[in-house]
Amino acid sequence: MADAPSDAAEPSGAVRPRKPPLQLRTILIAAGLAAATVHAARQSGWEWGSFVSVWSNPLWERFWPIDWDFVLDRRNVLDPLVETFQIAIVATVIGCALALPVSFMMSQLTTPNRPTYIVVRSVMNVIRAIPDLLLAVILVAAVSIGAFGGAIALTVFSLAVLVKLFSETIDSADPRPLEAALATGGRHSAAVRAGVFPEVFPAYVAHSAYVFELNVRASVVIGLVGGGGIGRVIEAQRQFFRYDRILGILIVIFVIVAVIEQISDYIRRRVL
Amino acid sequence: MTSVLDETAAPPGTAERPPPPSSRWWRIAVAVAIAVAFAWGYSGLGITVDQLRRAPGNIWTIMRLSWPPDFGTVIERGAIGKVFESVYIAWTGTVIAAVLSLPLAFLASNNVVPRWVRIPIRQLFIVVRAFPELILATIFLAVVGLGPWAGALALGIASAGTLGKWSSESIEEVPLGPVEAIDASGGRWLSGVRWGILPQVFPVIVAHWLFRFEINVRASAIFGLIGAGGIGGEISSQVQFRNWENVLAVLLMVIVMVLTIDGISGAVRRRILAGSTRSSSDANRELLGNLGGFLTRRRS
Repeated sequence: MADAPSDAAEPSGAVRPRKPPLQLRTILIAAGLAAATVHAARQSGWEWGSFVSVWSNPLWERFWPIDWDFVLDRRNVLDPLVETFQIAIVATVIGCALALPVSFMMSQLTTPNRPTYIVVRSVMNVIRAIPDLLLAVILVAAVSIGAFGGAIALTVFSLAVLVKLFSETIDSADPRPLEAALATGGRHSAAVRAGVFPEVFPAYVAHSAYVFELNVRASVVIGLVGGGGIGRVIEAQRQFFRYDRILGILIVIFVIVAVIEQISDYIRRRVL
Repeated sequence: MTSVLDETAAPPGTAERPPPPSSRWWRIAVAVAIAVAFAWGYSGLGITVDQLRRAPGNIWTIMRLSWPPDFGTVIERGAIGKVFESVYIAWTGTVIAAVLSLPLAFLASNNVVPRWVRIPIRQLFIVVRAFPELILATIFLAVVGLGPWAGALALGIASAGTLGKWSSESIEEVPLGPVEAIDASGGRWLSGVRWGILPQVFPVIVAHWLFRFEINVRASAIFGLIGAGGIGGEISSQVQFRNWENVLAVLLMVIVMVLTIDGISGAVRRRILAGSTRSSSDANRELLGNLGGFLTRRRS
C-alpha cells in the first residue's frame, strides 16, 4: 500500500527509468581511447596546419586542366585498362574455381576429415592476413614484372576471400539433406554434391560476383607495384608529376568501376 | 522456445521454397560465356608458355631462399616501430573517417532527412568509394609530402565513404517508434536524431568503425610501398635488394600484426553487438544481431 501514492503520481503507470550513473569503467575506456588517438595521430605526423595547407597547396594547379588528348588516346588509357580487366577476369575465374573444392574442405559440415579442416583453415587464415598488394610485390619480383605476377597475386587473394565467405555459407547450410544422403550409403563427395551443393550454389555465384568486384578494384592499383594494367600508367605519370593526366585517368576509371559495380550488384540481386 | 519448436523450425535462410533450377541451355550459355571471357582475358595478358612453366620453380626458389626468416636484421632496421606506425596510420585514418562520416551518415538516411539532402550526399559517398585507398594516397602524397600523414589522410577520406554508406544503411533499418514519440511530445528534429535514433544505432555504427579499422590496418601495411609510411616501405626495399630472408621476416610480422588486430577488434565488435547482459533485452539483441549479420558478408 505504500506504493499507492507514487502510482498516482505517474498516471501512465510507467515508472520513469533511472538515468544510469556514469561508471568509472566508461570514463577509463573513453580516456584510453582518447590517449590512443592522440598518440597515434602524433606518430603519424598530425598537423592542424596541414588541413589548411592541403587546400592552399600550389600542386592543385597541376591537376587542371585535364590533359584529355593524353587520356583519350587509346594506347595510353584504354589498352592498359583492358589489360586491368583481363587480369581481374583471369584471377577471378581461376581463384573462384579453386575456391569451390577448398571451401567444402574448410566447412565443418562438409569437410572430409578433421586434419584437412584444420590445415586448410589455418593456411587460408594466414594467406588472408597478407594484404593483397604485399603479395603482389613479392610475386612480381618472384615471377616476372607485368600482368602475370599481378594475376597470380590476385588469384591467391580471390581464393582466400571467396573461401572465407563461401565456407561460412556452407557452415550455415541445412545439414539434414546431407545426413539423408549419407544415411542412404552415399560416398562423402557424392553426398556433399547432392545434399549441400544445390543449396549453397546461388551463394557461390553471388560471392564470386562480389570477388570479381574486389578484383576489379585491386587490379587497378596492382600496377603501382609492377603488376601491369592501368596502375602502371598512373605510377609512370605520377613520377613526372603529371597530375592533370592522372585526374583524367581517375575519371575514366571512376566511370567504368561504377558501371561494373552496378552490373555486379544487379547479378547478385538476381541470383540471391 | 521449446526444443520441439526448434527442431521443426526451418533453419535460417531456407524458409522460402528455392526457385526451380534453371534450364540446361541457360547453364551451358553461362559456362560458355565464362569460358570465352577467360580466354579473352588470358590472351590479353601475354603470358608465354615459358613463363607459365617456370613460375612454380621460381616461386619455390624464392620460398627456399627466404628460409629461415632473418628477424635480427629487420628488427635492427626498426621494423617493429614501422609495424606500430602502420597501426597508428590505420587508427588515425579510422578516427578521421568516423568523425567525418557520423554526421554525413545521418544526412544520407531516408528516415532522417528529405530527398534533396540525401541524394547528393549519397553520390558523394559513391564517388569517394570508387577510388582505391592507394590511389587517394598517391594524390595526398603530392599534397602533404612523403610520410605517414599522407596515408592517414587518404585512409580517412576513403574510409569516410564506406563508413558513411554502411552507417546510413544501418540508420535506415532502425524502427521509428522512438522518433515518433519525440515528435509527438514536441521535440525538435535534432532531439529526434539524438535521442530517438542514435541510441538504437550507435553500437552498430561503432562495430562498423572497428571493422573498417581492421581493413585499414591491411591498407596501411601497403602504403609504405609508395612512400606513405608504415611497414610496407620495409617490404619494398627488402624486395628490391632481394633479401628474401628479410622479406619473409617482415611478412611474418605483418601477418602477426593483422591477425592480432583482427582478433582484438573482432572480440570487441562481437561484445558491442551482443550488448551487455545486464542492460539489453532479448529483442534488442536480436535486432543488433540481424544488423550485425550483414557485417560478416563484407568481410574480406
